[in-house]
Amino acid sequence: MSVRQISVFLESRPGHLRRVLDAFEEAQVSVRGYSASDTGDYGIVRFIVDAPERALAVLRDMGAAARIGDVLCVRLNDEPGELARVMGVMADCGINVTYSYSLISTYIALSVEDIGRAEELLASEPVELVGQDALAAPLARNEGRRDA
Amino acid sequence: MTDMTVKGAALAAAAAGDFSELPIHNPSVECASRERIRAIQLAGLIEQVAWTYERVPWYRARMDEQGVSPADIRTLEDVRKLPFTDKSVLRDTFPYGLFAVSLDEVVELHASSGTTGKPIVVGYNAHDMDLWADCIMRLVQMAGVVPGDRAQMAFGYGMFTGGFGLHYGLQKLGCMMIPAGSGNTERHIAMIEDYGTTVLVATPSYALHMCEVGEQMGFDWKASTLRVGLFGGEPCPPGLKAEIEGRMHIVCTDNYGLTEVMGPGVSGECLASRDMQHIAEDHFLWEVVDPDTGEPVPDGEEGELVLTPLGKQAIPVLRYRTHDLTRVTCEPCACGRTHARMRKVRSRSDDMLIIRGTNVFPSQVEDVLAGIEGVAPHYRIVVDTARGLDRMTVHAELKPEAFSDSFQQMEALRRLVEERLKGVLLVGARVKLVEPGGIERTTGKARHVEDRRKPSA
Repeated sequence: MSVRQISVFLESRPGHLRRVLDAFEEAQVSVRGYSASDTGDYGIVRFIVDAPERALAVLRDMGAAARIGDVLCVRLNDEPGELARVMGVMADCGINVTYSYSLISTYIALSVEDIGRAEELLASEPVELVGQDALAAPLARNEGRRDA
Repeated sequence: MTDMTVKGAALAAAAAGDFSELPIHNPSVECASRERIRAIQLAGLIEQVAWTYERVPWYRARMDEQGVSPADIRTLEDVRKLPFTDKSVLRDTFPYGLFAVSLDEVVELHASSGTTGKPIVVGYNAHDMDLWADCIMRLVQMAGVVPGDRAQMAFGYGMFTGGFGLHYGLQKLGCMMIPAGSGNTERHIAMIEDYGTTVLVATPSYALHMCEVGEQMGFDWKASTLRVGLFGGEPCPPGLKAEIEGRMHIVCTDNYGLTEVMGPGVSGECLASRDMQHIAEDHFLWEVVDPDTGEPVPDGEEGELVLTPLGKQAIPVLRYRTHDLTRVTCEPCACGRTHARMRKVRSRSDDMLIIRGTNVFPSQVEDVLAGIEGVAPHYRIVVDTARGLDRMTVHAELKPEAFSDSFQQMEALRRLVEERLKGVLLVGARVKLVEPGGIERTTGKARHVEDRRKPSA
């Protein structure tokens, strides 16, 4: 079980990330998590969204340099020591996490070299992997936020 | 010719090395013997110098100062006795100081973009317009354009010589003009489809932009009626032309010209020698000189092109310093023409940058980028100073397909460009990768260089 990740090449200049987000909004793509990292001149912004194929099409239409790939997605319990516990499991299984970032609430995305192998290794571990479907649902239902 | 779909029998034959089916506008002049060409030039020069001396006080004063009179012009080599004309002369005599005819006789004015100070303004009488159209009719036929072609103009009209210059010549040849003008790319593409356009007149960078927009719109270039691209307004590197030919499925040529001596049409590319351009030698006497000394360089060697229009009446400039570097050959050409060929201008002597004491030409940067898979052949060079030293930064456009979700790979690409540049330029340049489409595509002269250094005192 894994989720799709969209990566896009962006110059580090005001308005460039906004242009992408505006296009997502217009296409009704909802961002469920993202990470923006840079080298000073340019950056790679990674998105996890509810409709990855549509998001990719939007970016390609804009002429942007964009790719789609897969990352693991793990749901954490919101309690002290949980992140350390999950990363400990990764370490014990010998899975190298090349980068990781958090999504809505207590989901974290993890890029690993071999997703299939990681999934096998994690199957018997106390780690809750989630798929794309889990991310489409509104936060309130999963986390019990009590507004309206 | 590059790998592409060639549309039309004449172009297909040319692609296979047979140029006999391509039209030659005026074979008695364009295919004349070298002796006859020189005779035409000498007669033209003698007449031109007399015309200029009699009618333009500025030239008469210079020639008197130098002790040269029209009677001293007896051979083509005698042109060296005449004063040079630099761009500054046209600027200083703005607007009508160099005109040789009454303004009542002038039928059209054009002006150069004028990047510094006042523009350069030039005028044409009816005779000049005919001469200009003659030059244009030659070069468009070199690319296989024939009467009945439908030519869509993507140059801006306005004061720039490119728009009307090509327009009149193509129309006089018998083409249907579609005067769309610059900008509104989607509309251009729709017009190609609606009107069955066969010839596109554009800057190469705008043609590439049209190509990209068309691809995004799902326009089928291969199936379209378009078969010829006529480029001008900026130098067209071979890599860029090949890319446009391959993607738009057209044959493209570019021509050379400058407002000060006429406009487009001084020389044009034929399909038999694609990195060269035939000079309209009966209309222009050329010299190639050392840019520093003004002395002629040995035959066939590179130097600055100097042009004297022959028979141009309204503004008859003598020995115009183009600042364009080229070399010229008089060897016969497989297309059948005998007029001399100049190597395409890749760099102007005044485009040259001096970076920490090393000469750098923007065309070298272009060449390096064209040779690297992951980047597009568009670039911008920014020069500034850091701690008193010149610093050059090259902005290069990432190709979408070269993007990977890995900083390591992106940095490896960036460093590869830096290393290749260093190898060719012999001076280090920082490379910045920019987004696809991030370099401005221009409809006039592409602005590739931004020099932010303070001018030295």
